[in-house]
Amino acid sequence: MRAGAKISPAIRMTLISLVICGLVFPIVMTGIGEVAMPWQANGSQVYYDGRPIGSELLTQDFSLPVFFHPRNDSASGVDPDITMSSAISQVPRIHNATGIPESFLNESLQKYRQYTLFFFGTEYVNVLEVNLYLVETYPSIYAPYIQ
Amino acid sequence: MLTLEDLFVVVPVWGLVIVLSWFLSRYLLTVFTGGKSRLDRIFSPVEGFIYRLAGVDAAKKMGWKEYFLSLLYLNAGQAVVAFFILMFQQSLPLNPMHYHGMSWSLALNTALSFSSNTNLQHYNGETALSYLSQMSAIQFLQFTSAATGLATGVAVIRGFAGKAKTIGNFYFDYVRALTRVLLPLAFIATIVLIAMGVPQSLGGYSYEPTLQKDAYEWIYRGPIASLVSIMQLGTNGGGYFGANSAYPLQNPSQLSDLFEIGLMMFIPTSLLFLFGRMVGSNREGRTLFLAAYAIYGIDLLIAFLPHFSIGRGVEVRFGAAASVFWTVTTTAFTTGSVNASLSAFNPVVILTAFFGMLIQAVPGGIGTGAMYLLMYVIVTIFLVGLMAGRTPEYLGFKIEGQDVKLAVASFLTHPIIILIPTVLAFAVGAERGAGLSADSIGFTKVFYEFTSAAANNGSDFLGSAANTVFFNVSTGIVMWLGRFLPMLFMLAIADGVATRKRGYGQGLKTGSMSFVIVLIVSIFILTVLTFFPFLVLGPILQFLQGFRTSFGV
Repeated sequence: MRAGAKISPAIRMTLISLVICGLVFPIVMTGIGEVAMPWQANGSQVYYDGRPIGSELLTQDFSLPVFFHPRNDSASGVDPDITMSSAISQVPRIHNATGIPESFLNESLQKYRQYTLFFFGTEYVNVLEVNLYLVETYPSIYAPYIQ
Repeated sequence: MLTLEDLFVVVPVWGLVIVLSWFLSRYLLTVFTGGKSRLDRIFSPVEGFIYRLAGVDAAKKMGWKEYFLSLLYLNAGQAVVAFFILMFQQSLPLNPMHYHGMSWSLALNTALSFSSNTNLQHYNGETALSYLSQMSAIQFLQFTSAATGLATGVAVIRGFAGKAKTIGNFYFDYVRALTRVLLPLAFIATIVLIAMGVPQSLGGYSYEPTLQKDAYEWIYRGPIASLVSIMQLGTNGGGYFGANSAYPLQNPSQLSDLFEIGLMMFIPTSLLFLFGRMVGSNREGRTLFLAAYAIYGIDLLIAFLPHFSIGRGVEVRFGAAASVFWTVTTTAFTTGSVNASLSAFNPVVILTAFFGMLIQAVPGGIGTGAMYLLMYVIVTIFLVGLMAGRTPEYLGFKIEGQDVKLAVASFLTHPIIILIPTVLAFAVGAERGAGLSADSIGFTKVFYEFTSAAANNGSDFLGSAANTVFFNVSTGIVMWLGRFLPMLFMLAIADGVATRKRGYGQGLKTGSMSFVIVLIVSIFILTVLTFFPFLVLGPILQFLQGFRTSFGV
């Protein structure tokens, strides 16, 4: 009887908690997200020329020599960023493949430079941002390589 | 070495969290002593409705047995529900990707893991769990296990404080932990996380074209922000993704990274101040706070010693400093979420991670951290009392033989449930099933697995590689023993001292700085003496081998 007296509230409290924490809370938050911040709530979709081209937050499969390449040894496997030194080392390859002046490529990297500690720390760039900038600046060069 | 630039990250987070925790502790005092509040108008009717629906009397004082059994039955019921959701998700709604149910051993491991606030994950969430499982198994247990931990921590504190002459009522503490603390804070945190870029959607996963011709990527839209909010606030640590908080959709930027670190520190820190408030002497709370943060700070200093740069297994946007800061914090607060692959770190960082998990109280998980600190206080006062030839006293009451026995039983639970299964794993060759060999690296990983399980931490090296029947079942048992046995012992002590005569005032001045130092030294010695041989075989040997290699010997 004593065990039974505790099992009934345990079962009921389990179901109440399940409904509140496991259904109502995430669904209400989803509703708020969809209404108030639909862009972020749906994965920060980026567009080029009106077409969706993936999430701003994720790396993309840039493998052609005309693009800056992402890294493939990150913790997440989809790290969108590369260090500045890694980016600079790719400048000659992109120059050879596209003819875009190295000075412009380096300026582009500086334009999109970020820091791991906000104002200092290691310099890095977001690969998609830089590549998108190149595509927008040289649409005719990049036309054969994009979707 | 810890540079000025690293301090630029660490100091503001510490400062902000400590100040906000101080204010939160004032709110928690009102919540858990049933003090009048303007929020009663909103919350009291809801809570009254929940009590009636569940058929519980939230005003009834419970003894330690009743308090413990109530929480044990509730957590068991919740684990059973989650087990069935995980195992049969293919037949349940909200599964747009048509993922199969988990095997029995994996479902068992996951249910025991999340119900014990551990969040060890032997699966990759984004490719194994339906929306329903992520919400109604994972997030659900992250809330309830955090509420259970918070309730227990508060009950133990209430008993030690002695003003209420009881440890309280479990359902009162549990329901209020949810309605007045965890749900409102998670609500705010979820909105902040969405604003920072963490998705919150039920729109389905999609394989979408990207910029380069014929290239595609998966975009995992899911109820991620709501899960991350409680996973950090409730020191749970189990992520939506296999890569946890290294995955950009779970942790998009440096700012979200620091915000998530702050979330995991918030409630455990405020409980240390709550102790002072409940006792009626902020100095007593200060003692717990200073001891816990001193050891946490020493861990950070040690972890920053080796040079560390962005490389394999580290995310560029966090850099070295935020990766190390996160790893030390997630183990010190026994959360277990990760923002970098543990294999990326120097063995010295792993050693400090071990310290956090072996001590479990610097400052430890939600509710349990404060509970373990009080366990160390009892043992320390007893040891010092023996050396000084004084009757051991704390907060004006005499510490009796029974209390010391229970505190030591609670302390010994940890080494027993870590060391025996670690040895057993190698004895039966289970490490091979997880793709490991019996060298210092393999040993570190298996030892870490059981330490993380026993400490209800949940960070691990193995991940889905440990999805074997041996590791699923063994860590499952270890997680539940590591969770509930110490709760049983500590509730018993707290209930015993709640009604004990107070006011001797002959004991050590536990509010003094000298006691803080004694407590720190005692925690350190107790832990190191217990685990030293195992640490030597694992991370220390690995460190020395790395040293030898670097000298070319």
